[in-house]
Amino acid sequence: MAADVGQLTTAVEVRDLVRRFGERTVLDHLDLTIPAGQFVALLGRSGSGKSTLLRALAGLDHRADGSGDLRVPHQVSVAFQDARLLPWLRVLDNVILGLDDERRGREALAEVGLAGRERAWPGQLSGGEAQRAALARSLVWEPQLLLADEPFGALDALTRIRMHDLLRELCARHRPAVLLVTHDVDEAVLLADRVLVLTDGRVGVDLAIELDAPRSHGDPRFITYRERLLRALGVHPDGGTRARP
Amino acid sequence: MTQVISRPVATPAAPPLTPAHGRLRRLGPGRAIPGGRLAGPLLIVAAWSAASAAGVLDDRILPAPWTIWHTTTDLISSGRLQDNLLTSLQRAGLGFTFGLTAGLVLALISGLSRTGEALVDGPVQLKRSIPSLGLIPLMILWLGIGEGFKVVIIALGVAIPIYINTHVSLIGIDRRYVELAEVLRLSRTRFLRSVVFPAALPGFLTGLRLAVTGSWLSLVVIEQINATSGIGYMMYQAQNYGQSDIIIVGLIVYGVFGLASDALVRMIGKRVLSWQQTLGS
Repeated sequence: MAADVGQLTTAVEVRDLVRRFGERTVLDHLDLTIPAGQFVALLGRSGSGKSTLLRALAGLDHRADGSGDLRVPHQVSVAFQDARLLPWLRVLDNVILGLDDERRGREALAEVGLAGRERAWPGQLSGGEAQRAALARSLVWEPQLLLADEPFGALDALTRIRMHDLLRELCARHRPAVLLVTHDVDEAVLLADRVLVLTDGRVGVDLAIELDAPRSHGDPRFITYRERLLRALGVHPDGGTRARP
Repeated sequence: MTQVISRPVATPAAPPLTPAHGRLRRLGPGRAIPGGRLAGPLLIVAAWSAASAAGVLDDRILPAPWTIWHTTTDLISSGRLQDNLLTSLQRAGLGFTFGLTAGLVLALISGLSRTGEALVDGPVQLKRSIPSLGLIPLMILWLGIGEGFKVVIIALGVAIPIYINTHVSLIGIDRRYVELAEVLRLSRTRFLRSVVFPAALPGFLTGLRLAVTGSWLSLVVIEQINATSGIGYMMYQAQNYGQSDIIIVGLIVYGVFGLASDALVRMIGKRVLSWQQTLGS
């Protein structure tokens, strides 16, 4: 019997993944392995295929044209850019939708700081609160892999900082592997163990971030990582965009 | 040694400050007057009473409000109003129930499956372009002039708005919610119960309101064409005998029931869509 039943060593295994939209090849023989429990941030220019990869991993690309081998754990949760709470279900019912375990739902809400808001309607929540409820909905499933598609993209700067702290804390406690799609280089360096940059449909840069917690924007190594990634994205760190090769 | 000399600087004349409070003209209509919607109807009744009392209004054209009142009490004490009202309500209720069921079932068939849509949607859209009241001659030929044809005409008028509005909101469901349901691996039943039906509910309720109004409209027409009982028949007879007071009583009854049924549907809507109420406030 396999020794690692229930104890994954690899969370994501992608071989030769190709995705096309009409004439355009968005993912071109992409390979990617994510070990269990690793926090990976995925950067890339808009249209580089970040969301396509995430949707492929989530199993949401039913009609996609392409090929390749994709392996993900049994329990995968997805956090969308919009909180995507159903407006006609109360917050608690949104969190346990499909699971129907009230106790765990309450625990998850308490974990994201929304204890007491179980009976609220999603329309009564602020943007940050809604995104926290969405995070709780991802957590109740105890995912081995969390796919997050710019979950903080629509939040204001202050709320975003709080959400970063919360996400880091939750990941440290539950240890899912995370694939965070973002366009924010600072967010990537701040949160991830490893940052990927998608270029031309493949992983162009694969950078391990070796910074101790708590990470600070002022750390010289932080700045070095940031500049390397910005350069890989075709942005000159001093401002201005380099002509694309 | 440094010396600081404060020299008067020529400041440009600053525009004087104006008080901020109430500085802007209010362009919105302002707050609603409590009970204000009653003012218009009351004014009309008052003018009507005054004109009748002064003898300006011919009693054969428009009887005085108190004449109407006496006619109403007479009609009630003789039992004529209740009998006719009961018949009318039965027709409307029966037609409404059949129409609601048919519209809803058809909307579900065509809203939830592509095959169903291919089979059902075309014919219903075709039917929609023919006014239900236009079918009266055909229905009388087919079903005779008994209760059957009346109920069918009302049901047809009810089914269409229910179908159109429910169907549109079933197929117009937000793709993002479908994705969410897929990600959460909801079963098909659970998906329908937790996502599709609640999302379609506002559309269904809009259809319901239109259908209620429509059922009264059909009723009025049918009862004045071929009937031997009902409020419409009572009014039709009154027309033959020149009893304008009875016609007015019939109109008031229609109005009261139309208003009450609409209010009822709106109340139901408010209750089942309570999650929406929180958005506006």
